[in-house]
Amino acid sequence: MPLGPPSLSTRLKRRLIRDLVRENLELIHGLPPRARRRRWPLQDALRLLAVLLLPVALYGSSQLLAGGASTSPSAWPPEVHAAVPFSPPAAALAARTAAAHLPAPTPIDPAVFPLAVRRVAIDPGHGGASLGTRAPEGPVEKALTLDIARRLERLLAAEGFEPVLTRRGDREVPLRERALLANRAGADLFVSIHLNWIEDRGARGVETYYAGTSSDPAVNELAAAENRDSGYSMADLKPLLERIYTDVRQEESRRFAAQLQGALVRSLAAANPALQDRGVKAAPFIVLITTEMPSVLAEVSCLSNSEEARLLARPEYRQAIAEALSTGVRSYAAGVATASVQKGI
Amino acid sequence: MTDRPDVVLVGIDLGTSRSSISASNGQRHVVDSYVGWPLDMVARKVLKRPVLIGREALDNRTMLDLHRPLEAGLIKEGSDKDEAAVRELLRHLLGLAGVDPAARNGARVRAVVGVPAEALRVNKQHVRKALHGAVDNLLIVSEPFAVAYGLEALLHSMIIDIGAGTTDLCVMNGRLPAEDDQRTLTVAGDWIDEQLFRLLRERHAQARFSIHMVRAWKEEASFVGDTKTPVVVTVPVEGKPTQIDITAEMRQACEGILPPLVESMLDLLSRVEPEFQERVRGNVVLSGGTGLIRGLGPRLEKALAEVGGGKVRVVKDPVFVGSDGGLAIAQDAPDTDWEKLGT
Repeated sequence: MPLGPPSLSTRLKRRLIRDLVRENLELIHGLPPRARRRRWPLQDALRLLAVLLLPVALYGSSQLLAGGASTSPSAWPPEVHAAVPFSPPAAALAARTAAAHLPAPTPIDPAVFPLAVRRVAIDPGHGGASLGTRAPEGPVEKALTLDIARRLERLLAAEGFEPVLTRRGDREVPLRERALLANRAGADLFVSIHLNWIEDRGARGVETYYAGTSSDPAVNELAAAENRDSGYSMADLKPLLERIYTDVRQEESRRFAAQLQGALVRSLAAANPALQDRGVKAAPFIVLITTEMPSVLAEVSCLSNSEEARLLARPEYRQAIAEALSTGVRSYAAGVATASVQKGI
Repeated sequence: MTDRPDVVLVGIDLGTSRSSISASNGQRHVVDSYVGWPLDMVARKVLKRPVLIGREALDNRTMLDLHRPLEAGLIKEGSDKDEAAVRELLRHLLGLAGVDPAARNGARVRAVVGVPAEALRVNKQHVRKALHGAVDNLLIVSEPFAVAYGLEALLHSMIIDIGAGTTDLCVMNGRLPAEDDQRTLTVAGDWIDEQLFRLLRERHAQARFSIHMVRAWKEEASFVGDTKTPVVVTVPVEGKPTQIDITAEMRQACEGILPPLVESMLDLLSRVEPEFQERVRGNVVLSGGTGLIRGLGPRLEKALAEVGGGKVRVVKDPVFVGSDGGLAIAQDAPDTDWEKLGT
């Protein structure tokens, strides 16, 4: 009996199996997975920026390798002029020597991209069985972070942002899921809210983190505590950490952290005159590494300090924290928008 | 597709709570995903075996170093014992199907193993490592894809696979699901068990029960919405067997999965091309052991009604739907492809 053409279903199955086999072979041979996902505007732009920096750097190098004929001589040190007529290998060697004396190519200003901040992911730290820290006779971190997050949500919504919470109730959400949620919501910014615990009970104040490595053992200890039960292995973490360094996102996160920290210190000083500015710091928090947008983790007060624990029990102080965070988000967003306007975009 | 007598094909659904195998030799088996090693010499003498697997391990847990090696559908990391447990579990399944290395008489074994939709590459590598030497060729697939393949729901459908460790949602649109086509939630059967356990501890402080008992009650009587039959269980209270009504707690725990489930379902639907949304809404498949919660299908249909209506079909045989799907993939994959996929 002659065989007819395969049905749509058969053709579809054949194609799916072919793709499946290809995907498995990539896994066996350790090849990177093919990108099969949509991106979001701000994340796209940041990645585009990272990609564009590379050609700029290469272009600068190629200009040197080509002899720098089209560049203004006054812009270069004398060694470069001497290198121009040399035979190719010598010229290349000389150009490398010259490159060592030259400033790095100027990075592209993120403001050349019209990046609007619209959706803000708010991550109330801990929840459910994960209590976080707690004052000796007072409130628990998980409840306070949720309260502040909800206040921040209302403030941001009133200002026209689209806030998205990683948890709404007292439930434990794994760190990985928090990051996935923000990524999938297409958030433009990510703010994780936590409360600090410092052995020195006299210490108090606020500090804000962005993703990066730290040589401070206390910071690494804090990151290890917050990263516990993240669901990631060390094997997963390494490529994740490597990824953030190839990204302009890290610089944007640092700028965002600086805006937030400044707003917290300025706004809370009235109610908390002894507040210490503990600074903007880099640390390898999982939620900051695995999110795909500018991300910060704010330790908005110290529960280990009895005075700050007492302040945190007051709704007006928690409202002040939320307002400071909202100001930080607004400042960062306005900075991006202003820079875009100044560039005439 | 192969029909060679010297080749045995198997589909395996490696689940947090239960794992199943379907083989081309007609064998189908399911085991509880527990592995236990005797704690000491006395236990070894009583149990007479170096390792116990499945229900047997659970029943003898007081004498065992008991491991449930999968967490949220993935092999736990950092413990050699958990890796060894997965290896034992997979080899036990192959043994039940008569295709372990000792029993297969030289036949080649080709396996398709389903893992959660969002399993990381490192988790897939662990599965590959665990099966090294136990099968000749291995293909790893996302579990909801295996379910869709087995049900021939590959085009314009949504699979919601609620297991013990994870809930996988996946839109099938005629291609391998991309990251944006699928979601994995860790709110699933185990989460319900924990909620129910916590609620019962709060409201019946004197009653004595274990998480294993709570899991059994849930598997027997889980529901969302209204029920005409109260859920009554017998537990020791101060040493005396006592009946307690846990209907309200059961409802509360089970309904806890609805908000994230509905939110994820509607979010995934909203990302489907507009002209196909209605077809996907009309072809939602609910699978997995926890998908059998009474009233869950109608509750999801109620949520779909708010976006234009839809139909939710509950899979009749959730225990084997994943492994049967894996077997179907194994049968359809050509020999030339299988040859490339050594372990």
